[in-house]
Amino acid sequence: MIQLSYLDYSAVEGKSRLHRYSPMVKMIGMGLVLSGVVTLRSLTGLLLLYAFLLVLFFMSRIPLKIFSLTLYPLIFALFFIFLSGFQIYFILLLFLKVLCGSTGVVLLLATTPYPSVFRALGKFLPGLFVTALFLTYRSVFILLEVFEETEHALHLRGGVQWRHPWRTLINISNAFGHLLIKGIDNSEKMYESMVLRGFKDKIHYRGE
Amino acid sequence: MSHIHLPDGVLPVWLWASGYFVMVLIGAVLFRLIGKGDVSRRLPLLGMMAAAMVLGAAVEIIPIAYHVNLTVISGILLGPSLIFLATLVVNVILALFGHGGITVIGLNTLILSIEGILGYYFFKLLWRVSKRLTPAVFSATFLALMVSTFSMIGVVSLGTAHYEELIHGEHQHGIFGLELSGGKADHPEKEMNKEEINLKRFIAIVLPLGFIGWILEGVITTLIARYIYRIRPDLLKLEGGVS
Repeated sequence: MIQLSYLDYSAVEGKSRLHRYSPMVKMIGMGLVLSGVVTLRSLTGLLLLYAFLLVLFFMSRIPLKIFSLTLYPLIFALFFIFLSGFQIYFILLLFLKVLCGSTGVVLLLATTPYPSVFRALGKFLPGLFVTALFLTYRSVFILLEVFEETEHALHLRGGVQWRHPWRTLINISNAFGHLLIKGIDNSEKMYESMVLRGFKDKIHYRGE
Repeated sequence: MSHIHLPDGVLPVWLWASGYFVMVLIGAVLFRLIGKGDVSRRLPLLGMMAAAMVLGAAVEIIPIAYHVNLTVISGILLGPSLIFLATLVVNVILALFGHGGITVIGLNTLILSIEGILGYYFFKLLWRVSKRLTPAVFSATFLALMVSTFSMIGVVSLGTAHYEELIHGEHQHGIFGLELSGGKADHPEKEMNKEEINLKRFIAIVLPLGFIGWILEGVITTLIARYIYRIRPDLLKLEGGVS
């Protein structure tokens, strides 16, 4: 989850040419990448697409820590290997498709601030849904703060110790319970302050 | 491991497009049922619960990439209609940083919301029958996750003809291929046999891991529910006391 802060930082503070393109252009580009992922059936085509995305990734000077995010979906792709009878061609094709998709998405989010993405999405998705997306994104950061405090408390109560699995499970569960209760309390306060500021089903972004 | 965050490019177009269609259909019906005003009033709560699920997905419990979903506890706290919207939001946010594909948001939402919706109804039913929090929450979570895992296996099995095509793709000509139909085989019996063998292997890997996940999630959800009951019992909206 720490990578989320890096993504946000990279999107807001980045100064590369890709950062300066309009969010709509980048989202259309992402759409093209996804069409490539869905329709390409040759290793050469997918390799070229992946190489192109990698070049864009490194040209955009995105922090290397974020690159690990693009590899994460491979864990889930591993399960599909068992379907294929371990055929190399299928495995490579699958991995390249997965890598192209995830690299494209991470590239988009690391060069475009979330509010801009949501504003672009708001043009063709229901307003309430986009508001829910924005509030969730905002809430992740609020809960991250609560989570950091809870982590300290958790550490003082023994934290995560694999020698004591039951104690660990209780600690983790209490931390999540605390997180949920704090989250619900915060959501009530957030709603009151939003109403006070004139919230009516839609969040307006700067420039609208 | 109650479900897999299906990545992009694995499933056939007709399957993920149907996922989107069904998701929009269910979303529209639920939205009509709840009413815009109610959704709007509960948006911050929905956002917080969705954020908690996103955080849960980011905390690895054991080194096989297992993470808690918190869908059942969120379903109990949000109710069956809002949990659907919450899982959709969670899947979009997760897909936006590479955790699950964009094309499969519909299917991932359907699979994940099964957990939340069934978890809610199983919990209400078991609570009414037993009036005991621990067994009610644990059983509801275990059963809901089991159903969602089998749904995921069902979804994956629907795309078998497509995987066969990809496997034998090296012998085909051309760079692009867009398959909108299910891809009928020339020799159905032979094909069925192949599919069965492949699926069995997949199921043999997923089910034991899933079983560990159902137990872990069940225990964690129960402990969270007990914690919430101690601090804010009103949130669980229970009829009567607890034993």
